[in-house]
Amino acid sequence: MEAMEIDAEKNLQRKQSTYLSLDETFEIQKETYRGQQYSQIYFARLHLMRTLLYSLVPHWKSHLKVCTVLGLEEEKECIIVGTLYKHMKLKPCILDEYSKERSAVPLVKPHNFLHLDDHLVLEDESGRVKLGGDMLSPSSYVTGVVVALHGKETGSGDFLVLDVLEAGLPPQIELPLQSREDKYVVFVSGLNVGSSTSNPLQFQLLVDHITGHLGDEKEQGIASQIVHVVIAGNSVEIPSGLLNGQNLASKDQSRLSEPVKELDILLSQIAAGVPLDIMPGPNDPANFSLPQQPLHRCLFPGSAAYNTFRSCTNPHCFELDNIRFLGTSGQNIDDLEKYSEAKDKLEFMERTLKWRHLAPTAPNTLGCYPFTDRDPFLIESCPHVYFVGNQDKYGTRELRGSEGQLVRLLSIPKFCETGVAVMLNMKSLECHTLSFGTQFGS
Amino acid sequence: METASSDMKNFYRQRKSNRGGITKPSSKSTSKSKKKSPKNAAAIGSDITQPRTLISHGAPDLHDDYDKHEEVLRQFDMNMAYGPCLGMTRLARWERAQRLGLNPPEEIECPLKGGKVNSDCLWDGRV
Repeated sequence: MEAMEIDAEKNLQRKQSTYLSLDETFEIQKETYRGQQYSQIYFARLHLMRTLLYSLVPHWKSHLKVCTVLGLEEEKECIIVGTLYKHMKLKPCILDEYSKERSAVPLVKPHNFLHLDDHLVLEDESGRVKLGGDMLSPSSYVTGVVVALHGKETGSGDFLVLDVLEAGLPPQIELPLQSREDKYVVFVSGLNVGSSTSNPLQFQLLVDHITGHLGDEKEQGIASQIVHVVIAGNSVEIPSGLLNGQNLASKDQSRLSEPVKELDILLSQIAAGVPLDIMPGPNDPANFSLPQQPLHRCLFPGSAAYNTFRSCTNPHCFELDNIRFLGTSGQNIDDLEKYSEAKDKLEFMERTLKWRHLAPTAPNTLGCYPFTDRDPFLIESCPHVYFVGNQDKYGTRELRGSEGQLVRLLSIPKFCETGVAVMLNMKSLECHTLSFGTQFGS
Repeated sequence: METASSDMKNFYRQRKSNRGGITKPSSKSTSKSKKKSPKNAAAIGSDITQPRTLISHGAPDLHDDYDKHEEVLRQFDMNMAYGPCLGMTRLARWERAQRLGLNPPEEIECPLKGGKVNSDCLWDGRV
């Protein structure tokens, strides 16, 4: 029998990239709550967007003047700038709970609150005016978007809209022209460790692939080109039955912390080899309102020991080799889906970029911290990659702006349901999926 | 008939002495204590929700502490261009206006930073 040749061990070096975190604007440690209400954040948003729109109006319609809502004159064409408010018939209202008619049918809300009778209202500092005409379709807009409108006031007091100006994609810093090498970023979300539907073997397969423990040299070669891993929310699922306010028995207390411990073990395997960013999601042990603060380091005693482990805010903004990434764990797009309609999730993402606001429905229907002096969700610089986690399916598209901006839109599916993670090539910004299955087919 | 002059005191009921024991505080105090709202108080039930009139010892608060600065500061509070005034200190609102390029009046910057004027807006604690 021939002696088997043992190949000389080839050490594959993992590629590296420079990392810059831009999450400072989403942190709220320095904020103090003094009893302010949401009028402050709406004021900041309107002011910043209005300044921007005023600079765009002359290029759009140079012959028309801008006026305030209270300064509208009947039948005189002009431009008004303000925040949209969508009046929705089916939107749940806290007063419904106090309604005297107790219907037999519980006040269960449908998934989507659109109705044909919804109408839009524009509000600026002086007043509000109802919007009429066919130009603006209420189903495409949500409360909280700042736009400029060209139109005129009608006899009935409505404002007939003739044209709309949205802020459009923000300016983008051009990517360096020199040829970049193949480097990959792995995106995954919705791991839901600890839930009955998640398969620990699938996640272990993903971890093994990233760390290069799977496959032959070619596979390992591809894995060595992974420079970063981003986990976009919903990494754990704590059994909800335990969180009903009752005292926990010691047996239940360990059940409460099991999912996080399991996650920590797996994350430390990843962090040992590759830089890792973990973002909180709607089901994670973090605060509820946006911007969600980073998951605490004490939850990850094993992983936090590595300097490659970074706990990040949601939304998360960072730069890798000067390529700007911006993304959320899904709350902003899911909320848009409840209050407006589009052909797919990527179209919602496109709209948020064109409105230059990550979460226009915050604070109206999406929980948000009452900032007083700024609105951190305003997008000032266009990202190169814009991702959203915890979606139903994988989707990606390239979006081109009017000034040569190029954005890769990416919708990351829930890993526990689909077994799919996404690899993005930093050279071309193209994406492909990594699909993990544990079915042993016949 | 005997004049019961010595009994005059017993004839007319004597008033109870007001001194000693438990007495109500004199309502003639002219000093008004300005309730300084705690820095981060927002809770229901805190003094921040009680109007100042009820706190100043029963005397109706007919004269606010008015000086020339307060008048200008109140105009600053009421000016819509600088945004809502509730929930922020006047200095924070002035600084925000400065940062957003709204050019707030400069003459109130010094009194605000000096600290002798009321740091909270006109409606603070009253709405």
